[in-house]
Amino acid sequence: MNDLFRYVPGNSVIHRLNPVTKLLLTIVICAAAFITDRIWYLGILLAIDLGIGFTAGVAKRTMSIFKGLLKIAAFLFLLQALLSRKGTPIFWIITDQGLLTAGKVVLRLIVVCMPLALVLAVTPINDLTNSLVQVLHVPYSYAFTLSTAIRFIPQFLEEMSGIMEAQTARGVAFDQARGLKKFSMILPLCAPLLISSVRRSDQTAVAAEVRGFRLRTRESGYKRFPFTALDAGAAAVCAVVLVGAIML
Amino acid sequence: MIQLEHVHFAYPAQGPSVQDVSFHIRKGEFVALLGANGAGKTTTVRLIDGLIRPTAGRVLIHGMDTATTSVSQRARMVGFLFQNPDRQICKNTVREEILFGLKATRGEEDESRLQARTEEILADFSFTGDEEPFSLSRGQRQRVALASVLAIEPEILILDEPTTGLDYLECCHIMDHIRRMNEEKQVTVVMVCHDMEVVLDYAQRALVMAGGKLLADGPVREIFRNNPVMELASILPPQIIGLGQRLGGAFAEEDSPAGMAGAILAAAGKGGKRDE
Repeated sequence: MNDLFRYVPGNSVIHRLNPVTKLLLTIVICAAAFITDRIWYLGILLAIDLGIGFTAGVAKRTMSIFKGLLKIAAFLFLLQALLSRKGTPIFWIITDQGLLTAGKVVLRLIVVCMPLALVLAVTPINDLTNSLVQVLHVPYSYAFTLSTAIRFIPQFLEEMSGIMEAQTARGVAFDQARGLKKFSMILPLCAPLLISSVRRSDQTAVAAEVRGFRLRTRESGYKRFPFTALDAGAAAVCAVVLVGAIML
Repeated sequence: MIQLEHVHFAYPAQGPSVQDVSFHIRKGEFVALLGANGAGKTTTVRLIDGLIRPTAGRVLIHGMDTATTSVSQRARMVGFLFQNPDRQICKNTVREEILFGLKATRGEEDESRLQARTEEILADFSFTGDEEPFSLSRGQRQRVALASVLAIEPEILILDEPTTGLDYLECCHIMDHIRRMNEEKQVTVVMVCHDMEVVLDYAQRALVMAGGKLLADGPVREIFRNNPVMELASILPPQIIGLGQRLGGAFAEEDSPAGMAGAILAAAGKGGKRDE
């Protein structure tokens, strides 16, 4: 789980794209998933997600994200199929329309979440921040907030795992509880996690201040992010995907 | 009481952290685990508590394999004081914090008994009980965590760098309490520590680790005098040990009081030069 948001170095076509193009591709796939109402088109979008992951040489990470999402998707599918009342019943209270809607919901979820996780696997977080500032003129403080939030996720997970380990060592039966019982045990631990998070954020803010955070402008970055023919190709793919979602 | 038999452990996607480590710790011993960062000390104490399980070999606590019992079940017997007290503290007052640990391990006992034990430990640590743990100083929070661990009256106490970030007085408070538990109640103490003065003052036996292997095992003073082991483990023994060694060597060569006085001055001079 901790590795889910870490950058995987590489020199693939996807890696070499401008970070802004990668963001554009992500946004377009998400938009297309919400625009289209065809389940087969959602299937195509899922294939594109998987294709991007495999082309980028992060097949293992792609499959790990996919499997993780499948677990949530299975729960959502069941819930949606049981609650939907439209259509003809085919088994017990499950209807044909209910199954179709449930299929669309879970496919949409997977299609939307995968590129968001993959973009972090193929883009160094600093490049993402700096390209947002240089190319899209996003104020550095906003871009920094975004990148810091992403960077903190693995640290929070590690902290939570440390807290749970410490509590297990003092007798809280995390290692034996399952489901709701485990959830009710985790709830009181939000206090130490929150406090350590606030402390960490405060320390980061102070560290940033003493390193001249406010002096940083759009021109400060050494690395430039030019658009190349690869980006033009990716933009064309984006256009096709979006037009396909609207037209089909 | 604690027995490690040819224990190996490797974290996923990393090299081996602990390799073929075997030792036996008897009841009432105060043992320090020494070594540089990455030597495998913390991994070894986590193995002892069963927070991680060996990839090969066995860890036995009271003859019971840690692989067959859960950590939470063993918590009544093994107390673990972590380097960062904030991972242990999760309640709004010190009283609630201590009671929380007691209920987790001795939940089957009568509530009034647990409350009485809480008040006892609060008095022992000079807490009123109404303090908010997160607004206390780092040293005080470490004392809260220790109080919470000691409240359950464990037979084994594992300390992972308990004095890191504490000033001398706070360090003494914590360590004196632990020594008292060790001497009066025969609590077995296993401590990971980078402060060699603390090790010399409190521990009886030292286990030296380097590169995941156990290099030496013996009484603390003997271990500190073993220069090849100290060098291999990248440990600088307390100055008093070096001074003692130099004086001992010089005295062995001198017979007259004047010669001995000269030897003392020479040893002190060498010590000073080393400090520079």
